[in-house]
Amino acid sequence: MNSAAVPASPGIDLSKPRMLSNPKLDQWICFWSIPVFYVLFGIIFVIFGRIMPPPTPAMATADIVAFMTSPYLSIAVVLLAMSLGIYALNSGLMLTQMKRMEGVSPVLRYGYIAVLGVGGLPGCLFPGYMFALGAFRPEYDAHIQVMLYELGFLCFVGSLGCFIIQYTLFAIAVFLDKRQLFPKWLAYFSIWTLVTELVAAPVFITQTGPFAWDGLLAFYQGTIIWVAWQTCLTFYLFKAIKEQPIEELGLPMRPNEL
Amino acid sequence: MSNSSFTYEQASQFTEHLQGPSGSAPDKPIARVPGQAAMWFFVVGDLWIFTCYFACYAYDRAQEPMAFLQGQLSLSQDLGAFNTVLLLTSSLLVALCLKATRKQQHTQARQLLLMGGTLGVCFLLIKAAEWYVKIEAGLPVMSGQFFIYYFMFTGLHFMHVSLGLVILTLVYLELKKATAGNLAMVEAGAVYWHMVDLLWIIIFALLYLM
Repeated sequence: MNSAAVPASPGIDLSKPRMLSNPKLDQWICFWSIPVFYVLFGIIFVIFGRIMPPPTPAMATADIVAFMTSPYLSIAVVLLAMSLGIYALNSGLMLTQMKRMEGVSPVLRYGYIAVLGVGGLPGCLFPGYMFALGAFRPEYDAHIQVMLYELGFLCFVGSLGCFIIQYTLFAIAVFLDKRQLFPKWLAYFSIWTLVTELVAAPVFITQTGPFAWDGLLAFYQGTIIWVAWQTCLTFYLFKAIKEQPIEELGLPMRPNEL
Repeated sequence: MSNSSFTYEQASQFTEHLQGPSGSAPDKPIARVPGQAAMWFFVVGDLWIFTCYFACYAYDRAQEPMAFLQGQLSLSQDLGAFNTVLLLTSSLLVALCLKATRKQQHTQARQLLLMGGTLGVCFLLIKAAEWYVKIEAGLPVMSGQFFIYYFMFTGLHFMHVSLGLVILTLVYLELKKATAGNLAMVEAGAVYWHMVDLLWIIIFALLYLM
Protein backbone atom coordinates (compact mmCIF):
# COMPACT_ATOMS: atom_id res chain seq x y z
CA MET A 1 0.00 0.00 0.00
CA ASN A 2 2.70 2.40 0.92
CA SER A 3 6.35 2.72 0.25
CA ALA A 4 7.03 4.76 3.36
CA ALA A 5 9.18 2.18 5.12
CA VAL A 6 12.48 3.71 4.10
CA PRO A 7 14.77 2.81 7.01
CA ALA A 8 16.37 6.20 7.62
CA SER A 9 13.19 8.29 7.30
CA PRO A 10 12.24 10.25 10.36
CA GLY A 11 9.06 9.22 12.12
CA ILE A 12 9.58 5.49 11.56
CA ASP A 13 9.98 3.25 14.55
CA LEU A 14 12.26 0.36 13.57
CA SER A 15 11.51 -1.61 16.70
CA LYS A 16 7.97 -2.31 15.49
CA PRO A 17 6.80 -4.58 12.65
CA ARG A 18 6.90 -2.98 9.23
CA MET A 19 3.18 -2.26 9.01
CA LEU A 20 2.86 -0.79 12.50
CA SER A 21 5.92 1.38 12.00
CA ASN A 22 4.27 3.11 9.06
CA PRO A 23 3.97 6.73 10.18
CA LYS A 24 0.83 7.19 8.08
CA LEU A 25 -0.88 4.13 9.56
CA ASP A 26 -3.65 6.27 11.11
CA GLN A 27 -4.43 7.88 7.77
CA TRP A 28 -4.36 4.59 5.91
CA ILE A 29 -6.79 3.02 8.39
CA CYS A 30 -9.13 5.97 7.86
CA PHE A 31 -8.65 5.73 4.11
CA TRP A 32 -9.54 2.03 3.89
CA SER A 33 -12.59 2.68 6.04
CA ILE A 34 -14.04 4.47 2.99
CA PRO A 35 -14.47 1.35 0.79
CA VAL A 36 -15.56 -0.61 3.88
CA PHE A 37 -18.24 2.02 4.56
CA TYR A 38 -19.51 2.06 1.00
CA VAL A 39 -19.62 -1.75 0.78
CA LEU A 40 -21.70 -1.73 3.98
CA PHE A 41 -23.77 1.11 2.53
CA GLY A 42 -24.46 -1.07 -0.53
CA ILE A 43 -25.37 -4.11 1.59
CA ILE A 44 -27.72 -2.01 3.74
CA PHE A 45 -29.41 0.16 1.12
CA VAL A 46 -29.31 -2.04 -1.99
CA ILE A 47 -29.33 -5.68 -0.87
CA PHE A 48 -31.22 -5.72 2.46
CA GLY A 49 -33.21 -2.50 2.53
CA ARG A 50 -34.12 -2.33 -1.21
CA ILE A 51 -34.05 1.43 -0.58
CA MET A 52 -31.72 1.97 -3.55
CA PRO A 53 -32.80 2.15 -6.29
CA PRO A 54 -35.91 3.55 -4.61
CA PRO A 55 -39.35 2.06 -5.18
CA THR A 56 -41.95 4.35 -6.72
CA PRO A 57 -43.69 6.98 -4.52
CA ALA A 58 -46.95 6.09 -6.23
CA MET A 59 -46.98 2.53 -4.83
CA ALA A 60 -50.27 1.00 -3.62
CA THR A 61 -50.85 1.13 0.17
CA ALA A 62 -50.69 -2.68 0.53
CA ASP A 63 -47.31 -2.75 -1.24
CA ILE A 64 -46.00 0.04 0.97
CA VAL A 65 -47.01 -1.86 4.10
CA ALA A 66 -45.32 -5.01 2.71
CA PHE A 67 -42.17 -2.97 1.98
CA MET A 68 -42.09 -1.37 5.42
CA THR A 69 -42.69 -4.58 7.36
CA SER A 70 -40.20 -6.67 5.40
CA PRO A 71 -37.79 -8.49 7.76
CA TYR A 72 -34.91 -7.56 5.46
CA LEU A 73 -35.64 -3.85 5.99
CA SER A 74 -35.39 -4.36 9.75
CA ILE A 75 -31.97 -6.03 9.29
CA ALA A 76 -30.90 -3.11 7.11
CA VAL A 77 -31.86 -0.43 9.62
CA VAL A 78 -30.12 -2.25 12.47
CA LEU A 79 -26.93 -2.49 10.38
CA LEU A 80 -27.27 1.18 9.47
CA ALA A 81 -27.66 2.30 13.08
CA MET A 82 -24.51 0.37 14.01
CA SER A 83 -22.27 1.33 11.11
CA LEU A 84 -23.10 4.90 10.10
CA GLY A 85 -20.43 6.29 12.43
CA ILE A 86 -17.67 4.72 10.32
CA TYR A 87 -18.07 7.70 8.02
CA ALA A 88 -16.53 9.89 10.71
CA LEU A 89 -13.12 8.33 9.90
CA ASN A 90 -13.43 9.59 6.34
CA SER A 91 -14.35 13.06 7.60
CA GLY A 92 -11.33 13.09 9.91
CA LEU A 93 -9.10 12.16 6.99
CA MET A 94 -10.56 14.93 4.82
CA LEU A 95 -9.91 17.43 7.60
CA THR A 96 -6.31 16.23 7.92
CA GLN A 97 -5.66 16.53 4.21
CA MET A 98 -7.53 19.82 3.74
CA LYS A 99 -5.32 21.22 6.50
CA ARG A 100 -2.36 20.76 4.15
CA MET A 101 -3.85 23.10 1.56
CA GLU A 102 -2.02 26.40 1.24
CA GLY A 103 -3.72 29.79 1.19
CA VAL A 104 -7.07 28.29 2.22
CA SER A 105 -8.87 29.63 5.28
CA PRO A 106 -9.46 27.02 8.03
CA VAL A 107 -13.11 28.12 8.04
CA LEU A 108 -13.65 26.13 4.84
CA ARG A 109 -12.44 22.82 6.24
CA TYR A 110 -14.27 23.23 9.54
CA GLY A 111 -17.41 24.18 7.63
CA TYR A 112 -16.93 21.14 5.38
CA ILE A 113 -16.76 18.75 8.32
CA ALA A 114 -19.61 20.40 10.23
CA VAL A 115 -21.95 20.40 7.25
CA LEU A 116 -21.13 16.78 6.48
CA GLY A 117 -21.98 15.85 10.07
CA VAL A 118 -25.25 17.75 9.98
CA GLY A 119 -26.13 16.45 6.48
CA GLY A 120 -25.75 12.85 7.63
CA LEU A 121 -28.75 13.29 9.93
CA PRO A 122 -31.52 14.00 7.38
CA GLY A 123 -29.69 12.14 4.60
CA CYS A 124 -29.09 8.87 6.41
CA LEU A 125 -30.09 8.68 10.05
CA PHE A 126 -33.65 10.11 9.86
CA PRO A 127 -34.67 7.77 7.01
CA GLY A 128 -33.08 4.93 8.98
CA TYR A 129 -35.29 5.68 11.99
CA MET A 130 -38.42 6.13 9.86
CA PHE A 131 -37.87 2.74 8.27
CA ALA A 132 -36.94 1.24 11.65
CA LEU A 133 -40.20 2.45 13.16
CA GLY A 134 -42.14 0.98 10.25
CA ALA A 135 -40.23 -2.31 10.34
CA PHE A 136 -40.51 -2.85 14.11
CA ARG A 137 -44.13 -1.69 14.52
CA PRO A 138 -46.04 -3.87 12.06
CA GLU A 139 -49.18 -3.26 14.13
CA TYR A 140 -49.27 0.39 12.99
CA ASP A 141 -52.17 1.52 10.85
CA ALA A 142 -51.50 1.39 7.08
CA HIS A 143 -51.78 5.20 6.83
CA ILE A 144 -49.03 5.64 9.40
CA GLN A 145 -46.85 3.20 7.49
CA VAL A 146 -47.44 5.22 4.31
CA MET A 147 -46.43 8.40 6.15
CA LEU A 148 -43.25 6.80 7.48
CA TYR A 149 -42.46 5.49 3.99
CA GLU A 150 -42.86 8.94 2.47
CA LEU A 151 -40.95 10.69 5.24
CA GLY A 152 -38.14 8.17 4.96
CA PHE A 153 -37.69 8.60 1.22
CA LEU A 154 -38.20 12.37 1.22
CA CYS A 155 -35.42 12.69 3.81
CA PHE A 156 -33.21 10.23 1.95
CA VAL A 157 -33.47 11.75 -1.54
CA GLY A 158 -34.63 15.27 -0.70
CA SER A 159 -32.04 16.36 1.87
CA LEU A 160 -30.10 18.77 -0.30
CA GLY A 161 -29.07 21.85 1.63
CA CYS A 162 -26.13 20.49 3.61
CA PHE A 163 -24.60 18.53 0.76
CA ILE A 164 -24.81 21.50 -1.58
CA ILE A 165 -22.77 23.55 0.89
CA GLN A 166 -20.35 20.64 1.31
CA TYR A 167 -19.63 20.57 -2.46
CA THR A 168 -19.36 24.36 -2.59
CA LEU A 169 -16.88 24.56 0.30
CA PHE A 170 -14.77 21.80 -1.21
CA ALA A 171 -14.77 23.48 -4.63
CA ILE A 172 -13.73 26.85 -3.16
CA ALA A 173 -10.95 25.23 -1.11
CA VAL A 174 -9.57 23.42 -4.18
CA PHE A 175 -9.72 26.61 -6.26
CA LEU A 176 -7.82 28.57 -3.61
CA ASP A 177 -5.28 25.88 -2.77
CA LYS A 178 -1.87 27.04 -4.03
CA ARG A 179 -0.46 23.60 -3.42
CA GLN A 180 -2.96 21.90 -5.74
CA LEU A 181 -3.47 18.81 -3.57
CA PHE A 182 -6.59 18.10 -5.60
CA PRO A 183 -6.85 18.96 -9.32
CA LYS A 184 -8.92 21.98 -10.29
CA TRP A 185 -11.20 19.90 -12.49
CA LEU A 186 -12.33 18.05 -9.35
CA ALA A 187 -13.58 21.40 -8.04
CA TYR A 188 -15.59 21.86 -11.22
CA PHE A 189 -16.80 18.27 -10.85
CA SER A 190 -18.10 19.26 -7.39
CA ILE A 191 -20.19 21.96 -9.06
CA TRP A 192 -21.80 19.36 -11.33
CA THR A 193 -22.55 17.28 -8.25
CA LEU A 194 -24.11 20.36 -6.69
CA VAL A 195 -26.25 21.04 -9.77
CA THR A 196 -27.48 17.45 -10.06
CA GLU A 197 -28.23 17.42 -6.32
CA LEU A 198 -30.38 20.56 -6.66
CA VAL A 199 -32.55 18.79 -9.21
CA ALA A 200 -33.87 16.54 -6.43
CA ALA A 201 -35.77 19.51 -4.91
CA PRO A 202 -39.11 18.72 -6.63
CA VAL A 203 -39.35 15.27 -4.97
CA PHE A 204 -41.64 16.94 -2.43
CA ILE A 205 -44.09 17.95 -5.15
CA THR A 206 -44.29 15.22 -7.74
CA GLN A 207 -44.88 11.48 -7.42
CA THR A 208 -44.24 10.42 -11.01
CA GLY A 209 -41.88 11.34 -13.82
CA PRO A 210 -38.21 12.36 -13.79
CA PHE A 211 -38.51 14.59 -10.70
CA ALA A 212 -40.11 11.96 -8.44
CA TRP A 213 -37.79 10.40 -5.83
CA ASP A 214 -37.25 7.38 -8.10
CA GLY A 215 -36.97 9.63 -11.16
CA LEU A 216 -34.33 9.72 -13.87
CA LEU A 217 -33.21 13.24 -12.94
CA ALA A 218 -33.97 13.43 -9.22
CA PHE A 219 -32.35 10.10 -8.39
CA TYR A 220 -30.44 8.31 -11.16
CA GLN A 221 -28.51 11.16 -12.75
CA GLY A 222 -27.56 12.69 -9.40
CA THR A 223 -26.48 9.32 -8.03
CA ILE A 224 -24.33 8.49 -11.07
CA ILE A 225 -22.55 11.87 -10.91
CA TRP A 226 -22.13 11.57 -7.13
CA VAL A 227 -20.63 8.05 -7.39
CA ALA A 228 -18.18 9.27 -10.07
CA TRP A 229 -17.27 12.31 -7.91
CA GLN A 230 -16.79 10.20 -4.78
CA THR A 231 -14.58 7.76 -6.73
CA CYS A 232 -12.37 10.58 -8.06
CA LEU A 233 -12.19 12.20 -4.61
CA THR A 234 -11.16 8.88 -3.02
CA PHE A 235 -8.49 8.37 -5.69
CA TYR A 236 -6.99 11.82 -5.10
CA LEU A 237 -7.23 11.36 -1.34
CA PHE A 238 -5.14 8.19 -1.78
CA LYS A 239 -2.63 10.15 -3.86
CA ALA A 240 -2.51 12.99 -1.33
CA ILE A 241 -1.73 10.63 1.57
CA LYS A 242 0.84 8.74 -0.48
CA GLU A 243 2.68 11.88 -1.54
CA GLN A 244 2.56 13.58 1.85
CA PRO A 245 6.17 14.07 3.03
CA ILE A 246 6.89 12.27 6.30
CA GLU A 247 8.45 15.43 7.77
CA GLU A 248 5.03 17.02 7.55
CA LEU A 249 3.41 14.51 9.86
CA GLY A 250 4.76 16.19 12.99
CA LEU A 251 5.56 12.94 14.79
CA PRO A 252 7.88 12.95 17.79
CA MET A 253 11.34 11.66 16.91
CA ARG A 254 12.81 8.70 18.72
CA PRO A 255 16.56 8.43 19.39
CA ASN A 256 17.11 5.72 16.78
CA GLU A 257 15.59 7.93 14.09
CA LEU A 258 17.89 10.89 14.55
CA MET B 1 -3.23 21.07 -16.82
CA SER B 2 -4.86 23.74 -14.78
CA ASN B 3 -2.18 26.32 -14.18
CA SER B 4 -1.99 27.50 -17.73
CA SER B 5 -1.22 31.16 -17.18
CA PHE B 6 -0.42 32.82 -20.42
CA THR B 7 1.89 35.75 -20.95
CA TYR B 8 1.21 38.75 -23.15
CA GLU B 9 4.05 37.94 -25.50
CA GLN B 10 2.49 34.55 -26.17
CA ALA B 11 -0.93 36.16 -26.46
CA SER B 12 0.13 38.67 -29.05
CA GLN B 13 1.91 35.95 -31.02
CA PHE B 14 -1.24 33.90 -30.85
CA THR B 15 -3.46 36.78 -31.94
CA GLU B 16 -1.08 37.45 -34.82
CA HIS B 17 -1.25 33.80 -35.72
CA LEU B 18 -5.04 33.90 -35.78
CA GLN B 19 -5.42 37.17 -37.63
CA GLY B 20 -2.74 36.39 -40.14
CA PRO B 21 0.72 37.91 -40.08
CA SER B 22 1.20 41.59 -40.65
CA GLY B 23 4.52 40.86 -42.32
CA SER B 24 5.71 37.30 -42.61
CA ALA B 25 4.12 34.05 -41.45
CA PRO B 26 4.82 33.09 -37.80
CA ASP B 27 7.61 30.57 -37.39
CA LYS B 28 5.83 28.29 -34.99
CA PRO B 29 2.06 28.06 -34.73
CA ILE B 30 1.00 28.06 -31.08
CA ALA B 31 -1.51 25.38 -30.25
CA ARG B 32 -3.32 25.96 -26.96
CA VAL B 33 -6.68 25.82 -25.29
CA PRO B 34 -8.06 29.32 -24.61
CA GLY B 35 -8.54 29.84 -20.88
CA GLN B 36 -8.06 26.87 -18.60
CA ALA B 37 -8.40 23.26 -19.65
CA ALA B 38 -10.24 22.58 -16.37
CA MET B 39 -12.87 25.19 -17.32
CA TRP B 40 -13.48 23.44 -20.65
CA PHE B 41 -13.81 20.16 -18.80
CA PHE B 42 -16.51 21.80 -16.67
CA VAL B 43 -18.31 23.41 -19.61
CA VAL B 44 -18.46 20.19 -21.64
CA GLY B 45 -19.71 18.18 -18.65
CA ASP B 46 -22.24 20.81 -17.66
CA LEU B 47 -23.62 20.95 -21.20
CA TRP B 48 -23.91 17.15 -21.11
CA ILE B 49 -25.88 17.31 -17.84
CA PHE B 50 -28.23 19.92 -19.32
CA THR B 51 -28.61 17.81 -22.47
CA CYS B 52 -30.03 15.07 -20.23
CA TYR B 53 -32.49 17.58 -18.74
CA PHE B 54 -33.57 18.80 -22.16
CA ALA B 55 -34.02 15.23 -23.42
CA CYS B 56 -36.26 14.45 -20.42
CA TYR B 57 -38.24 17.62 -21.06
CA ALA B 58 -38.73 16.75 -24.74
CA TYR B 59 -39.88 13.25 -23.79
CA ASP B 60 -42.37 14.48 -21.16
CA ARG B 61 -43.64 17.20 -23.48
CA ALA B 62 -44.41 14.58 -26.11
CA GLN B 63 -46.45 12.66 -23.49
CA GLU B 64 -48.82 15.53 -22.71
CA PRO B 65 -48.37 18.19 -25.39
CA MET B 66 -51.58 20.08 -24.55
CA ALA B 67 -50.76 20.59 -20.87
CA PHE B 68 -47.26 21.79 -21.77
CA LEU B 69 -48.59 24.12 -24.44
CA GLN B 70 -51.03 25.61 -21.97
CA GLY B 71 -48.20 26.25 -19.53
CA GLN B 72 -46.04 27.77 -22.26
CA LEU B 73 -48.81 30.14 -23.30
CA SER B 74 -48.97 31.53 -19.77
CA LEU B 75 -45.31 32.66 -19.96
CA SER B 76 -44.45 36.12 -21.21
CA GLN B 77 -42.56 35.72 -24.47
CA ASP B 78 -41.71 39.43 -24.52
CA LEU B 79 -40.01 39.27 -21.16
CA GLY B 80 -38.17 36.10 -22.19
CA ALA B 81 -37.03 37.70 -25.45
CA PHE B 82 -35.92 40.85 -23.63
CA ASN B 83 -33.85 38.74 -21.23
CA THR B 84 -32.31 36.91 -24.21
CA VAL B 85 -31.24 40.22 -25.74
CA LEU B 86 -29.81 41.31 -22.37
CA LEU B 87 -27.73 38.17 -22.01
CA LEU B 88 -26.55 38.17 -25.64
CA THR B 89 -25.45 41.81 -25.32
CA SER B 90 -23.71 40.97 -22.06
CA SER B 91 -21.86 38.13 -23.81
CA LEU B 92 -20.80 40.47 -26.60
CA LEU B 93 -19.45 42.96 -24.04
CA VAL B 94 -17.47 40.21 -22.31
CA ALA B 95 -16.06 39.10 -25.69
CA LEU B 96 -15.03 42.72 -26.41
CA CYS B 97 -13.48 42.87 -22.94
CA LEU B 98 -11.35 39.85 -23.81
CA LYS B 99 -10.31 41.51 -27.06
CA ALA B 100 -9.33 44.67 -25.19
CA THR B 101 -7.38 42.59 -22.64
CA ARG B 102 -5.41 40.93 -25.42
CA LYS B 103 -4.49 44.42 -26.65
CA GLN B 104 -3.55 45.32 -23.05
CA GLN B 105 -6.19 48.08 -22.89
CA HIS B 106 -7.05 47.26 -19.32
CA THR B 107 -9.14 50.31 -18.46
CA GLN B 108 -11.39 49.74 -21.44
CA ALA B 109 -11.53 46.01 -20.68
CA ARG B 110 -12.68 46.74 -17.13
CA GLN B 111 -15.40 49.12 -18.31
CA LEU B 112 -16.71 46.56 -20.82
CA LEU B 113 -16.68 43.85 -18.18
CA LEU B 114 -18.55 46.07 -15.74
CA MET B 115 -21.25 46.77 -18.34
CA GLY B 116 -21.48 43.06 -19.18
CA GLY B 117 -21.83 42.18 -15.50
CA THR B 118 -24.48 44.85 -14.94
CA LEU B 119 -26.58 43.36 -17.72
CA GLY B 120 -26.17 39.98 -16.02
CA VAL B 121 -27.55 41.47 -12.79
CA CYS B 122 -30.49 42.98 -14.74
CA PHE B 123 -31.17 39.52 -16.17
CA LEU B 124 -31.40 38.08 -12.66
CA LEU B 125 -33.69 40.86 -11.44
CA ILE B 126 -36.09 40.38 -14.36
CA LYS B 127 -36.08 36.62 -13.83
CA ALA B 128 -36.86 37.09 -10.12
CA ALA B 129 -39.70 39.49 -10.99
CA GLU B 130 -41.09 36.92 -13.45
CA TRP B 131 -41.07 34.27 -10.73
CA TYR B 132 -42.72 36.64 -8.28
CA VAL B 133 -45.60 37.30 -10.67
CA LYS B 134 -46.05 33.57 -11.27
CA ILE B 135 -46.02 32.70 -7.55
CA GLU B 136 -48.40 35.58 -6.69
CA ALA B 137 -50.88 34.17 -9.19
CA GLY B 138 -50.96 30.90 -7.19
CA LEU B 139 -48.13 28.41 -6.75
CA PRO B 140 -47.99 26.94 -10.25
CA VAL B 141 -45.52 24.15 -9.44
CA MET B 142 -48.43 22.23 -7.96
CA SER B 143 -50.33 22.42 -11.22
CA GLY B 144 -48.34 20.12 -13.43
CA GLN B 145 -45.08 18.94 -14.87
CA PHE B 146 -44.46 21.97 -17.10
CA PHE B 147 -44.00 24.38 -14.21
CA ILE B 148 -41.68 22.00 -12.39
CA TYR B 149 -39.51 22.06 -15.51
CA TYR B 150 -39.92 25.84 -15.79
CA PHE B 151 -38.78 26.53 -12.23
CA MET B 152 -36.07 23.86 -12.37
CA PHE B 153 -34.49 25.04 -15.62
CA THR B 154 -34.76 28.76 -14.91
CA GLY B 155 -33.63 28.16 -11.30
CA LEU B 156 -30.56 26.17 -12.30
CA HIS B 157 -29.78 28.77 -14.94
CA PHE B 158 -30.21 31.53 -12.33
CA MET B 159 -27.64 29.70 -10.19
CA HIS B 160 -25.26 29.50 -13.16
CA VAL B 161 -25.64 33.23 -13.87
CA SER B 162 -24.98 34.03 -10.19
CA LEU B 163 -21.84 31.87 -10.26
CA GLY B 164 -20.88 33.61 -13.51
CA LEU B 165 -21.16 37.00 -11.81
CA VAL B 166 -18.81 35.79 -9.07
CA ILE B 167 -16.35 34.64 -11.76
CA LEU B 168 -16.66 37.98 -13.63
CA THR B 169 -15.97 39.81 -10.33
CA LEU B 170 -12.78 37.75 -9.91
CA VAL B 171 -11.82 38.57 -13.51
CA TYR B 172 -12.48 42.27 -12.81
CA LEU B 173 -10.20 42.16 -9.76
CA GLU B 174 -7.54 40.43 -11.87
CA LEU B 175 -7.78 43.18 -14.50
CA LYS B 176 -7.44 45.80 -11.79
CA LYS B 177 -4.03 44.50 -10.79
CA ALA B 178 -1.26 46.60 -12.28
CA THR B 179 0.47 43.54 -13.67
CA ALA B 180 -2.71 41.81 -14.85
CA GLY B 181 -0.67 38.79 -15.85
CA ASN B 182 -3.30 36.14 -16.17
CA LEU B 183 -4.97 36.34 -19.55
CA ALA B 184 -6.03 32.70 -19.17
CA MET B 185 -8.31 33.73 -16.32
CA VAL B 186 -10.09 36.37 -18.42
CA GLU B 187 -10.51 33.79 -21.17
CA ALA B 188 -11.84 31.16 -18.74
CA GLY B 189 -14.37 33.70 -17.41
CA ALA B 190 -15.50 34.52 -20.94
CA VAL B 191 -15.83 30.80 -21.79
CA TYR B 192 -18.07 30.28 -18.76
CA TRP B 193 -20.18 33.36 -19.52
CA HIS B 194 -20.76 32.21 -23.10
CA MET B 195 -21.86 28.79 -21.81
CA VAL B 196 -24.44 30.50 -19.57
CA ASP B 197 -25.62 32.41 -22.63
CA LEU B 198 -25.85 29.27 -24.76
CA LEU B 199 -27.84 27.46 -22.07
CA TRP B 200 -30.29 30.33 -21.83
CA ILE B 201 -30.90 30.36 -25.59
CA ILE B 202 -31.82 26.66 -25.45
CA ILE B 203 -33.98 27.11 -22.33
CA PHE B 204 -35.72 30.11 -23.91
CA ALA B 205 -36.44 28.15 -27.09
CA LEU B 206 -37.68 25.09 -25.18
CA LEU B 207 -39.82 26.79 -22.55
CA TYR B 208 -41.06 29.96 -24.23
CA LEU B 209 -41.11 29.27 -27.96
CA MET B 210 -41.42 25.57 -28.78
